[in-house]
Amino acid sequence: MAEISWPWQYNFPPFFTIQPHSETRAKQLEAWQQLIAEYMKASKKSTIDIRESQNSPLFHNASINRKLSSEALLTILEDMAKTGRAAPIDKSKNIWEVYWHSLDEWGNMIYSWASNNGLNNSVCTLFELQEGDNTVGEEFHGLDMNILVKALKTLEVKGKCELMEFDDSQGVKFF
Amino acid sequence: MRRRAGVGAIQKHRLEQEKYREKGSEIQENQFQQMSKQLEVFRENLEEFATKHKNEIKKNAQFRRQFQEMCAAIGVDPLASGKGFWSVLGIGDFYYELGVQIVEVCLATNYKNGGLITLDELRTRLIAARGKAKKHQDITNEDLLAAVKKLRIFGNGFTVVPIGKGKWLVQSVPGELNLDQTLVLQKASALGTAWVSTSILIDDLSWNETRAQNALDHMVKEGLAWIDTQDTKETLYWFPSMFAECVSAS
Repeated sequence: MAEISWPWQYNFPPFFTIQPHSETRAKQLEAWQQLIAEYMKASKKSTIDIRESQNSPLFHNASINRKLSSEALLTILEDMAKTGRAAPIDKSKNIWEVYWHSLDEWGNMIYSWASNNGLNNSVCTLFELQEGDNTVGEEFHGLDMNILVKALKTLEVKGKCELMEFDDSQGVKFF
Repeated sequence: MRRRAGVGAIQKHRLEQEKYREKGSEIQENQFQQMSKQLEVFRENLEEFATKHKNEIKKNAQFRRQFQEMCAAIGVDPLASGKGFWSVLGIGDFYYELGVQIVEVCLATNYKNGGLITLDELRTRLIAARGKAKKHQDITNEDLLAAVKKLRIFGNGFTVVPIGKGKWLVQSVPGELNLDQTLVLQKASALGTAWVSTSILIDDLSWNETRAQNALDHMVKEGLAWIDTQDTKETLYWFPSMFAECVSAS
């Protein structure tokens, strides 16, 4: 279980009920988004399955007996999607990817790591990026492979790298 | 047979009346002059006193309160005007400075409490934000109340809501709380739970359901209360401004 310092809202019972007043709701959604992002980051997870959400302490505070309902979680995730901080990966919107950094930010982070390590014009495998010894200590070390690929694709669009397929793995060439 | 009054008598009477009136206004004039003189002397003394103890007033909360009380008792408000001899003393400045700091604290915490803050939390935060010197730390609730009252000149944006037992809330959003809403806050404060419900208002304040619901709905609409539908019995209305963990959160 990820250890994070829970914000005060986590122990505030109405935090688990979507608020009807728009200004209050905006504050509530913002607090949830920060909490979700922080929790996912601490537990090194990138996906949320709404159907299983209530098994996670993140959405179920047993000490005050409050749960975040599936509908409420969907509201929060859809709001995160508006600012590019989450995206559904199945059609029924049950499984969501959460980006505690936007894909753009991830892309830039990887690119500056590559530049700093003189990897321009050379090729490395995605496995090296994700699990390699050179990236230990980088924030993207251990990042979900799907997100890694999406982040690199944002770089590819900018012409900063090119994704390539090998026989059984993927690689990337930085420019 | 009764004789009617002659012209002479009437004139004599009128003359007398006039003389009385003259004498009367003369005495009044005299008294007025004397009073003005006394007041002048008093003002001078008070001014001298205040000048002499200026630093004491600024530094010492106890002294400041007594000075305020004295001024209030004789109907003088040293904060009423920046002009005149009080401005020399800088007593007003002390409260204006406090006022600005109060506004800062209220704005900084608005995101979590919706513009309602207990005087105690306000004081704790304000003292933390001020310097570490003793004179910066020595701020009483009376000082804060005096300063908030001065903020009224900005309209009804800053008001003090008494919630009983020597406790106050400072409201920093426009819009006045009506009596019912104040009673709701008092109830929540008295219970110490940070929440109330319609049934509590109905039972404890003998309100009917519509009245209770209206008051609570209005507070939700103002962003002062959060609703919680997960209680087993009924909907609860929570006030973050009174929720201990919210109060102590940075």
